[in-house]
Amino acid sequence: MHKPHDSAHLHVTGQSEFVDDRIRMQNEVFIEVIYSPHAHAKIKSIDSSRARQLCGVEGIFFGQDFHENLWGTIFRDQPLMATSEVNFAGEVIALVAATSPAIAAQARKLIQVQYEILPAILTIQDAISQESFIAGSRKIERGDVTHALKSSPNQLQNNIIIRGADHFYLESNVAVAYPKEDGQIEIHSSSQHPSEVQHVVSHGLGLPSKNITCIVKRMGGGFGGKESQAAPIAAYAALVAHKLNRPARIVLTKDDDMIMTGKRNPFENTYQVGFDDNGRILALDAQLFSDGGAYADLSTSIMERAMLHSDNAYYIPHMRVVGQVCRTHFHPHTAFRGFGGPKGVAMIEKIIEEIAHALKMDPLDVRKINCYDNHERNTTHYDQKVENNCLPKLFSDLESECQYRRRRKSIDEHNQLAIRTNLSVLKGISLTPVKFGISFTTRFLNQANALVIIHRDGSLQVSTGATEMGQGVNVRIAELLSTELGLPRTQVRMMPTSTDKNANTSPTAASSGTDLNGAAALLAVRRIKSRLSALALKLFEIPESRWARHTAGLGTEAEISVPNSIETNDPNAHADWNSGIASFSDIQFQDGHVFHKDNPQKRISFHSLIVEAYHNRISLSEYSHYKFPGLSFNKLTGKGDAFLYFTQGVACSEVSIDRDTGETKVQRVDIIMDLGRPINEALDLGQVTGGFIQGMGWVTSEKLFYKDGLLLSHAPSTYKIPSIQDTPREFNVRLFNNNENRPNVRGTKAAGEPPLLLCISIWTAIHDAMKHLPNYRQAYPTMELPATNEEILKALYPEKFKRWNTP
Amino acid sequence: MKKRNSILFYLNGKRHEIHAHQAGLMLSEYLRYHLFLTGTKVVCAEGDCGACTVLRYFPYSNSKSKNLFLPINSCIATVAQLDGSSLVTIDALTDMTPVQKAMVTCHGSQCGFCTPGFVMALHGLVEKKISTAKPAPIKIQEAKNALTGNLCRCTGYQPILDAAKNINLSECESLAEKFLTPAQIRELRSTIKIPLQLTSPEFSFYAPTNLKDASRFLAKNKSSCILGSATDLGVLHNKQKKQLTQVLSLHLIENLYKIEKVGSGRMRVGARITLTELRNKMKALIPEFATFLDLFASPQIKNVATLVGNVANASPIADTPPFLMTLNTVLEIQSPKGIRFVPIENFFLDYRKTNLKSGELIAALHFDIPKKSDSLAAYKVSQRKDLDISAVNFAARVIWKNAQQNQIKEIFLSVGGVAAVTLRLSKTELIFKNKTLTPELFESALTQLHQEIQPLSDLRASQQFRHVVVENLFLKFFREKSHAQTP
Repeated sequence: MHKPHDSAHLHVTGQSEFVDDRIRMQNEVFIEVIYSPHAHAKIKSIDSSRARQLCGVEGIFFGQDFHENLWGTIFRDQPLMATSEVNFAGEVIALVAATSPAIAAQARKLIQVQYEILPAILTIQDAISQESFIAGSRKIERGDVTHALKSSPNQLQNNIIIRGADHFYLESNVAVAYPKEDGQIEIHSSSQHPSEVQHVVSHGLGLPSKNITCIVKRMGGGFGGKESQAAPIAAYAALVAHKLNRPARIVLTKDDDMIMTGKRNPFENTYQVGFDDNGRILALDAQLFSDGGAYADLSTSIMERAMLHSDNAYYIPHMRVVGQVCRTHFHPHTAFRGFGGPKGVAMIEKIIEEIAHALKMDPLDVRKINCYDNHERNTTHYDQKVENNCLPKLFSDLESECQYRRRRKSIDEHNQLAIRTNLSVLKGISLTPVKFGISFTTRFLNQANALVIIHRDGSLQVSTGATEMGQGVNVRIAELLSTELGLPRTQVRMMPTSTDKNANTSPTAASSGTDLNGAAALLAVRRIKSRLSALALKLFEIPESRWARHTAGLGTEAEISVPNSIETNDPNAHADWNSGIASFSDIQFQDGHVFHKDNPQKRISFHSLIVEAYHNRISLSEYSHYKFPGLSFNKLTGKGDAFLYFTQGVACSEVSIDRDTGETKVQRVDIIMDLGRPINEALDLGQVTGGFIQGMGWVTSEKLFYKDGLLLSHAPSTYKIPSIQDTPREFNVRLFNNNENRPNVRGTKAAGEPPLLLCISIWTAIHDAMKHLPNYRQAYPTMELPATNEEILKALYPEKFKRWNTP
Repeated sequence: MKKRNSILFYLNGKRHEIHAHQAGLMLSEYLRYHLFLTGTKVVCAEGDCGACTVLRYFPYSNSKSKNLFLPINSCIATVAQLDGSSLVTIDALTDMTPVQKAMVTCHGSQCGFCTPGFVMALHGLVEKKISTAKPAPIKIQEAKNALTGNLCRCTGYQPILDAAKNINLSECESLAEKFLTPAQIRELRSTIKIPLQLTSPEFSFYAPTNLKDASRFLAKNKSSCILGSATDLGVLHNKQKKQLTQVLSLHLIENLYKIEKVGSGRMRVGARITLTELRNKMKALIPEFATFLDLFASPQIKNVATLVGNVANASPIADTPPFLMTLNTVLEIQSPKGIRFVPIENFFLDYRKTNLKSGELIAALHFDIPKKSDSLAAYKVSQRKDLDISAVNFAARVIWKNAQQNQIKEIFLSVGGVAAVTLRLSKTELIFKNKTLTPELFESALTQLHQEIQPLSDLRASQQFRHVVVENLFLKFFREKSHAQTP
């Protein structure tokens, strides 16, 4: 039994505090937003006079009220509130602050905005033809693609259309700002990136960062959606709090949140691939276009990750991938679990399926023949060697464990029978891998810091830049530290993330929260531990009666001094690889006690040691900084080590589709993930099932429906994330035993994003189900991602769909 | 007659009297912002995610069952309509029930925002289980059915299902025993016999104890609206900021809580019969209806939403009207003058328009209990299989002339989501009436079928999709239910 999430007992009793659970103060104001319903328009006039007359309305604010009305994570290109022109439906124009939510809502309805509607770019194709782009085109290239394509015995070209998805974190964006003395503001935000909130507020209000503290206790889900886009929401609360000198709260409704905030970037990728008669890919030329929405946000980085993952698990000797982010008039699309990865992986997995279809091979055989190996075919298109590659083993393990060949045969037989005898259910099966690079691809983000405090009763408070959004980063760090000190986990309290303790932090993103912050915290603990070890060694040499707790008051004994700390950036330095625990001077920390390894009987309790350390004036707090070593990726050349390591996994999904309705049911899923040496296996399994099912929604039922750029599916009544009934009838998940992930703290591997990418197996299995239909004996079925039931029905009855396409 | 001027309910065993100025709040708002019970979360404010789930007992609804507490959505339930109830929220469950323990040990929570809702929905299931002697452990499908109305975005549900499976039922204490004393039940029972009138400048609420008073009130107060269970009105209030100013509630009219067989092979379902109660009754009488009721909405919704409400709302995508149309359904309509009966086909005039006149309200529905030899089926197609609004729903019933089931005596075909109202496909039916099923007959029926429907494209589906699906479902019905060769 693995230890539960540190907040589990609070979650199940409703006692965990989320931002909006903070009790409202008597003078607090509540903020409502006014945003554009149009994708692209000039703001002609704003009439707020009627709203101002409403009793209880305390203020109405506009972009001009900011000191600097501009923000942006990579490029500072987005107004906090639009002032003269709106560039997406959902772009905020004004805020109204009132004494109650009801009055604020009433006032919102009274604010009249006149627009002059302008033409909007609402497709990637329109953006391309109008050359409406964000930043320049990027290229990653290896070998001689043009020549290799030409000389390939087989070629095919096609495209893939990938739609966006909403994060659907249960807790919508929310912030409360409290004005403090001397121009300070304390902001409680549901953000994955408190440092950015602090910086955006500081810049927006023209206040120094020392005046702004952002605190994140926990989020009700983030999934990337609160990496950048929580910041402007917090800035709204901060602006109102600053202007009115009253606490201000903004709690977006699910509808407003979905309309205002960006989604997973849609992509349209075209490709040309050359392959031999065995299905081995010889060359790939791919062009990726993404819909960035109206502002840059993180889209260029997302594109970069898509390009870096267009190989997925496969060695492609000659490969060129070109990426361009398009500027459209949609909400600025943003990070979402997997970042760009899923969009590169979906493409290459579709290519594999098409190659198999063309050669009448089993797609699994095409996958295996192209899979990275451990000898020569193990360098990516950006020249990073795939170290400690477990993919071939993962493939063969899952193939036999899930009885792929037997099921493949029976599914093919079922489909042939179903087609002959007009049965409505078709079945499909597909086994796909993931190889996901762990690190921010922007090198400087790969740093973290941690503050560890040991109190005199021996309990710990730990603060890092990591934010807790349910993934369990806090519990993982607490387990790392408590194990290191031989203490029960409950002796460690993870503190809310706060910019006054951990500054200049990176977002909790890129799956790296534990890797970076856990390593930083562990380094801090090791420094204290080294001092405590040196102290213990000396204490064991003198009788207890002379220890400082008895003598320090009168100063009758000489003070013990110890070397201050150890210098290292390697969280595995000094540590025994198998246990992951470091020891100094052979002093062991176990079960709340400390002893020399050669004399376990002579022991001092951890608590007593702490008391001794205090009385000997030895520091019991430590602050550490950690950075991933060895990242050499050069964005201009597209070459180098972009990642510290890769998390790998495989999934086999079996689906059935109903030919009458286009409905999909995922019948069975088998997953094996390589997560190195998990700190907490149960939490990792939760990441795997959760990420996979979230991905399942993206590839099946989640359809964003826009009308003229305005999102109409903005609530769970119309935007359908998977329900409990949609979970696979049989769902087997196992972790792969990999003890060799040496670059990362304690040999663990990041689990947050990679499992999501395995959902592609559902999408390819849906295609697989159709392959025996007469229509698709030659051509591979064409469906967008997600394969909604409409998309499936359209692929099943293309003629009927044409026939009923009447105005 | 004496009237009460405050709402009475028990919350976590504590008595609450609430006056007009707070009675129009949604329960979740009242809990979170007035009582500072922030354990109950609000996500969607439309009854689609279950984060706000609380348990409710109401004397008239659960009179015969030992299972007293049922999960409901607090985000779309007005405080006023909970008059006479006893409620339990997550905030009262502080000492780790077996449900909570299972959720912790099986890692059923990640971010924790949906968790209180899941815990309450699971408690609803546990209450049902332990209301029988020697309950069997919770099965996976049982857990899924109980949690259809709860969305989680973190766990992929697997750990929550593990938790459900691992709840130790023998350790479970009935919440009713803990939070509902016999004296409280007695008080609630006697209180709800007294009509209720709340009046404030923003909100007036009238709950009579008999139907006559209700229809008289409606005739006099033309701008008032009937609040059944607010599963739709609550959403309008939350989303479109529709102010509920003058409300008539039927929750105190005991007569309306009746579901019974009448005459020869007919059902009468009173206006306050919830979809859950209907489903339980239909299980034996019309199993196809029960199966269909399992497929739509969530337990939380079905525990309050009524069949009559589903019809009265006159939505073209309402789930029950197509099925009801195949069952010769007639509405029993009460007015101050008396009762009139209207066939359901004549009830829907246009999009959300009915032929109810001023002072009229639906007292009950009457419909056929089909013979075992009849073939009937209802299908629902939506983006997601469960808890989704239909793109198309389709129902059919055939009364056969012969045992071989290829000669039709009478046929009922009805479809929703393809016009401004739920359609009865009477022209297509005519083609089949008294005919033997042949491929040619299907051909001409299909042609007619497509002419009879006028689907539009919207966010749920395109018109093409709706045409194709209606055709497919029509053929599916005959493929599954007849021995005829279908095209």
